[in-house]
Amino acid sequence: MLKKQIKLEERGKMDTARFGFFMILPALVFLLFIVIFPLLSSIYLSLSEWSPLTGGGTRWYEAYKFWGWLANYWNILRDVDFLVAILRTFVIVIVVVPVEFFIGLGLAFLFRENFTGKKVFYSIILMPMMIVPAVAGFVFYMLFQAQGPVNSVLSALAMKEVSILWLQGKASAIIAIMIADIWQWSPFMFLILLSGLLSLPEDQINAALILGATKWQRFKMVLFPLMKPVIVISLIFRGMEAVKIFDSIWLMTTGGPGTATESISVYMYKHGFKHLQWSWVAAGGIIILIIITLISLQALKPIREQEEKQAA
Amino acid sequence: MEQKLYTRALKFFLIVVVTILFFFPIYWVFSMAFKPFPEWTAAAGKIYWYPHHPTIDNFRAIFSRKLEMSPIAGTAIRPIVNSLTVSIIGTAIAMVVGIFAAYGISRYKAGGNLPFMLLQLRMFPPIAILIPIMIMWAFLRMIDTWYGLVIIYGVVTLPFSVWLMKTFFDDIRKELDEAAIVDGCSNIGAFFKVVIPLAKGGIASTALFVFILNWSDFLIALILTDRRWTTIPVHISKLQSAMVGALYGPKAALAMIAAVPPIIFGIMIQKYLVRGLTFGAIKK
Amino acid sequence: MAQIVLERLIKQFGAQTAVDGLSLEIKDGEFIALLGPSGCGKTTTMNMISGLLKPDEGNIYFDGHSVVDTPPGKRGVGFMFQNYAVFTFLNVYDNIAFGLKVQKLPQKEITERVNEIARLLQIRHLLRMSASTLSINDMQRVALARSMITKPKIFLLDEPLSNLDAALRATMRVELKKIQQESGQTAIYVTHDQVEAMSLADRIAVMNFAVLQQYDTPYNVYNRPKNLFVANFIGSPTINFFEGVYRKREFALSDFSGGVMPVPSKYAKEVEANLKQERVVVGVRPEHLKVRGMKNGSGPNLKAKIVSYEPLGSKTIVYMHPDGNPHAIVKSVMGSGYKPKLGEVTVLDFEERDVYLFDKETGELVLRFS
Repeated sequence: MLKKQIKLEERGKMDTARFGFFMILPALVFLLFIVIFPLLSSIYLSLSEWSPLTGGGTRWYEAYKFWGWLANYWNILRDVDFLVAILRTFVIVIVVVPVEFFIGLGLAFLFRENFTGKKVFYSIILMPMMIVPAVAGFVFYMLFQAQGPVNSVLSALAMKEVSILWLQGKASAIIAIMIADIWQWSPFMFLILLSGLLSLPEDQINAALILGATKWQRFKMVLFPLMKPVIVISLIFRGMEAVKIFDSIWLMTTGGPGTATESISVYMYKHGFKHLQWSWVAAGGIIILIIITLISLQALKPIREQEEKQAA
Repeated sequence: MEQKLYTRALKFFLIVVVTILFFFPIYWVFSMAFKPFPEWTAAAGKIYWYPHHPTIDNFRAIFSRKLEMSPIAGTAIRPIVNSLTVSIIGTAIAMVVGIFAAYGISRYKAGGNLPFMLLQLRMFPPIAILIPIMIMWAFLRMIDTWYGLVIIYGVVTLPFSVWLMKTFFDDIRKELDEAAIVDGCSNIGAFFKVVIPLAKGGIASTALFVFILNWSDFLIALILTDRRWTTIPVHISKLQSAMVGALYGPKAALAMIAAVPPIIFGIMIQKYLVRGLTFGAIKK
Repeated sequence: MAQIVLERLIKQFGAQTAVDGLSLEIKDGEFIALLGPSGCGKTTTMNMISGLLKPDEGNIYFDGHSVVDTPPGKRGVGFMFQNYAVFTFLNVYDNIAFGLKVQKLPQKEITERVNEIARLLQIRHLLRMSASTLSINDMQRVALARSMITKPKIFLLDEPLSNLDAALRATMRVELKKIQQESGQTAIYVTHDQVEAMSLADRIAVMNFAVLQQYDTPYNVYNRPKNLFVANFIGSPTINFFEGVYRKREFALSDFSGGVMPVPSKYAKEVEANLKQERVVVGVRPEHLKVRGMKNGSGPNLKAKIVSYEPLGSKTIVYMHPDGNPHAIVKSVMGSGYKPKLGEVTVLDFEERDVYLFDKETGELVLRFS
């Protein structure tokens, strides 16, 4: 015991700190060059009015020649398409995340007990989550064709010909995209909520049972409070990813018809790559960054608390 | 608590319905891949719910050079090779950098807030930093190269490799490292000789997890590649253009090729999916 | 407050039988212990009584009414879990009030009763604290308050003291017993600690491998153990067993070279009648077995060599090898301050009336020579 302590102390505090630093050094280098630097240049660009098209052959670092200060920010915040894209994205998120949550929760409760073939059903239900999102977009593109399976089934149910042009209608396209997202990510919520549900302290639930709590009372007064941390984490993580929605939209509608299904990411891609308005998009990106950072600092609090609790 | 038969039957029925709903789209694309032309074409007039005359023509089509697909698309062999290459190398980068960082964080509490900064990284819409990166890459002539793509893959999946490996290292008791050090190992020696072998399973699972992420990427490859190094998802989107948008059969074949590896790997690492997706916040 | 009858309870988990035909009758207001090693079925039995598990076969009656089909919440039982299972997301007040809130009692009454019981258990100062931050000892009191506040007729305790520090365990034992006696509840206490069972219970149900071994008062379980298992499980240090062969007038004990123990003439006929075969086990408790120098002459000539001893303050345990079997250990309890010479050969000294005779084949007690 004594020998061990002496050896470890011999290493000294300096030594340990230095070793730790070297271990994270590669990661820091990465972050510096590939995150920090682009971010700074993004800010730099956003403050100019340069674009490869209008710049007349200048390089990007010469953007200072086209200085515009906050002109981009001012203009982009007045661009209806941009604001609508933000609104549209948040509407999509507000709809799909709760739906995915409730489907996931319901499934989690169904999977509490054992039944024949449980493992097989479990694996199949998890599959949508593992599909390449772009492929999922393509699949739903096929499904939502005018002559496709979705209309077929609806026709059978309604007992008359249903031939909705899903991806051509402004509202129906958004609905189609939401359905595709719900399909792909409900299993994600299911996975997380089921883990949480299965790791609940059974004793506390049994204690409530013996104290006379009915099924509903047990859910409301014991299960739900115990699950709160997991629920919060699942909503935050799913929300975080949902805001970035791009792949499925691009494969299904490329943001169309017109701009009817442009999410934030789609808007910025189009303006960045179709119209090459780089500084404009840089400004947009910074704005989004600020919004997301503010939200994330709030949202990540419960996760930090969880980490600290686990470390203790 | 044991239940009545009626409730159990109802629950089972619900599960079956949900499973069918979730499986159907996957089934659809798989079945599409094996349908002959008259069955998948939009002009068919009716839906073939299963391939009446299954064929592998679609697979032949996407690999052949002779198919009259849009000139920007070409054959699918290149994208498949590309996807494999960049996914593997990108994973390797994320794993190497991530494992070192995770060890430093797990054992030496290095970096302070670094882990959470990495988490915040995931919150940014990628498009926001991809534009300046694209500009940088264009300047460095790294567009449409494998190394240009792979570095970004490494960075973007770094949060996952760091957090996941950190949880695996946390699971290995510190006393084991210390025992090795007491026996004369250097810090780095303890790392390689004791911890890494013990974390083998975690390393494999994390690698598969990161691979799935890289393989599934769309936006980054879309922006940073052009013709030579397009990956499968990008290739599929290129085929969405008006001329060949309705080539459901061959495209489904390609989609299926894209979809299969993540599904297989995903099922293999099922146990660790929760941990990976929530950055270790939840461990079953 | 209620009489409990268990009737041939059977519970199986897959191929394993956890409880095999258990029948027990517990009188109204009695405090009994379910005692046995881990896996003997005591917790499973408890769970069936509380309603958390349903027996595969058999019946359970509270005051004559079958409760097997009654849900746990409606059986009127209180339950103390081994790890207390306090609601970690509530404060102490809400924890204790839980059972009353479930019954939808008026707020005023709830507050009154919570305060009353908190005062009784001396935890009033904790009422506003979060349950997850409590010390183990406080948690235990909160769990107790929570289960008692609903005034259950039957109180089930699942090893409630095993997580406490030794010092507190003794105090809590006394307190638990006092509470039970004052409230008149029928109590069932599951434990693997025979000291706890002996000190607390009116009667002890000793279980092993899913089967009830003996159900009797502590005195009887100690003095008239029904079989080898009970004799070995009860008593600390554990009983000494000497294997031997019955030879009409004496027992030839194989652990001792040439060691024989005569059959007391008083019991010769009984032994002859009740012993179905010749292989026996003779049991003598260490506290009845003394170490004697070689000089005195009387008593059976059983020799042993002293190998070590434990001075425990109030007593000393001496460990010896019998001279015919260097792998066996004989234990003796001697007085405080006794210091034997290691390696010394001594004679074992015990009274005839402290000897138990077991049939080796059935494991059962044939008789005790007293």
